[in-house]
Amino acid sequence: MTIASDDPRVAAAAAPPPSVPPAPATAARRRRSRLTRNRWGYAYVAPFFLLFAAFSLYPFLYTAYISLHDVRLSDLDGAVFVGFGNYTELLQDEFFWNAARNTLTIGILSTVPQLAIALGLAHLLNYRLRGRTFFRVAMLMPYATSIAAATLVFAQLFGHDYGLINTLLEAVGFDRIDWESGSWTSQIAISVIVTWRWTGYNALIYLAAMQAIPNDLYEAATLDGASRWKQFVHVTIPALRPTILFTIVVSTIGAVQLFGEPLLFSGNGMTNGGVSNQYQTLGLLMYDQGWTNFRLGQAAATAWTMFLIILVVVGVYGLIARRRARAER
Amino acid sequence: MATVTFDSATRIYPKSDRPAVDGLDLQIGDGEFLVLVGPSGCGKSTSLRMLAGLEEIDAGSIRIGDRDVTDAPPKDRDIAMVFQNYALYPHMTVEQNMGFALKIAGVPKSEIATRVAEAAKILDLEDYLGRRPKALSGGQRQRVAMGRAIVRSPQVFLMDEPLSNLDAKLRVQTRTQIAALQRRLGVTTVYVTHDQVEAMTMGDRVAVLKDGLLQQCDTPGTLYERPANTFVAGFIGSPAMNVITGPVVDGGVRLAGAVLPVPRERLLRAAGDGGRVTVGFRPEAVELAPEGVPVVVNVVEQLGSDAFLYATLGASDDGDVLHTADLVVRTEPRSAPAVGETVHLRVREGGLHVFDPVSQQRID
Repeated sequence: MTIASDDPRVAAAAAPPPSVPPAPATAARRRRSRLTRNRWGYAYVAPFFLLFAAFSLYPFLYTAYISLHDVRLSDLDGAVFVGFGNYTELLQDEFFWNAARNTLTIGILSTVPQLAIALGLAHLLNYRLRGRTFFRVAMLMPYATSIAAATLVFAQLFGHDYGLINTLLEAVGFDRIDWESGSWTSQIAISVIVTWRWTGYNALIYLAAMQAIPNDLYEAATLDGASRWKQFVHVTIPALRPTILFTIVVSTIGAVQLFGEPLLFSGNGMTNGGVSNQYQTLGLLMYDQGWTNFRLGQAAATAWTMFLIILVVVGVYGLIARRRARAER
Repeated sequence: MATVTFDSATRIYPKSDRPAVDGLDLQIGDGEFLVLVGPSGCGKSTSLRMLAGLEEIDAGSIRIGDRDVTDAPPKDRDIAMVFQNYALYPHMTVEQNMGFALKIAGVPKSEIATRVAEAAKILDLEDYLGRRPKALSGGQRQRVAMGRAIVRSPQVFLMDEPLSNLDAKLRVQTRTQIAALQRRLGVTTVYVTHDQVEAMTMGDRVAVLKDGLLQQCDTPGTLYERPANTFVAGFIGSPAMNVITGPVVDGGVRLAGAVLPVPRERLLRAAGDGGRVTVGFRPEAVELAPEGVPVVVNVVEQLGSDAFLYATLGASDDGDVLHTADLVVRTEPRSAPAVGETVHLRVREGGLHVFDPVSQQRID
């Protein structure tokens, strides 16, 4: 009924009946009938949740269970409950703190330049330039490259005697650097690999977000006298803030779990993070515990600790973002 | 304060063979309110953006005052623009939005604050200075966009359909406010709209464009009284002017078997093409008469103050529902004829416009 009526009889008939709180039985019946009515919807989402339960949720919980036991890889059934023993042992382990420190420095060394370069690249690609589809595809190539292939190539580049980088350094008058054996140098080299692989991926995410910024904002800023750089600072960056937060979260998760690059960096895939563990990350430490020392309970405890670290870091980001949003309102 | 001159300014978009704006010649006086109006795709927005420096000028030139700004970047033109979607910076407060241009120009903070406060007072925005655009209503956002232009005290205001995102009532209200504000500030203003009512009510002069070509530029009164061609005649005024072509007979033009009298010398000059002539008359320039052009009334619109008859010529009732009217006639609401009735029309003294049927140009 679209035509309003002043006639009281019509109005009374059109008004909803006085609301009566539904009895619990009706509520349950209604819920059941809604379940049957939506059964196709549930059927369509079921495959994902089945896979998720089998390959994510179950291993997740099983890892938690294992982390509370003393388990050898050779004897999975002979688990002995030790409570939080694995965790307390881990927190007293100097290798854990070393690996945590390395993970943090490599994380900063790779994430910060990675996101900064990605932002710049996206800004450049956002201009109307010739062959930009080519550039966009080219940007995604490192991401599509196998981690093993990429790392082996980089390991060659950073090689001490015949590496291209040392050759170049020598050519311009510097000394050769033993990239792998130094603590900072090895971490920088690994960060370069990570940055190379992930910059394009992040740049494409930024580019997508940039293209959603209305063009008249830039025109208004142009008329307001803002240079390209000022437009970038005052229009682009604020509009990208949620996207930047997203990429920081994803990169942080990736950085905490960093494993393949340091594992393969020595060139043979047998390392546990350098002679003096100078680039052993938490991921490598866990691998070492589980697959070199066969202590699965200890490795599971490390895995869960990494998960908790991610939760805390992402939670802190979320708090900062929410505080910012509230301040802006 | 400055004049604005378009000198054969032309814009051809890449991959297009037809100019979007074709040799536009326009002189806008100091402090004048000029409205560019036309149907969509007529080049009115492009003209404005050429003046703003957001579009290149492919031929001709544009001057602001005595300064040739054809190749000057937007920021050196001393203009301010109000965009259709306002283009407010979403993460800045109203105050920061309005002060942004001054901040970029390096104006001291205290002066920015004073000037923003002044503009906010004029626009009744003082209570909203700390808010972000998201937390404002459509009308308030529109005022912030105006304020951002005012704060800069530029030589020329450019407005690109600034009212089109407001609801009908607010649009009428804001229309008068903008016109009053412009008169008070006395800043040369170029205003783009597709709405001929806005154009007529706001502009000192109105420039009508079609297909990139300037059709006529004159005061609203002259546009209405003496349209230069059939396009302007049909575009300006609501309901539109009745424009009909018919065969020339002695003393006038034959419509539906009757003769509509046309002054002899205008008839002679118009009747070049196979003895036909185009005449135009506005709905209010027609009266019902015992003798005259016979029409059949199809629809009667009662507006309270007026009634409009939508009628077809002659007694030909071909049952075409979509083609309800050759003519629109305004009558007294009380004495409006009924639907289906045949009435006779006469054009009032001085209410007839004559056009060349081929060139569509006005003949006086």
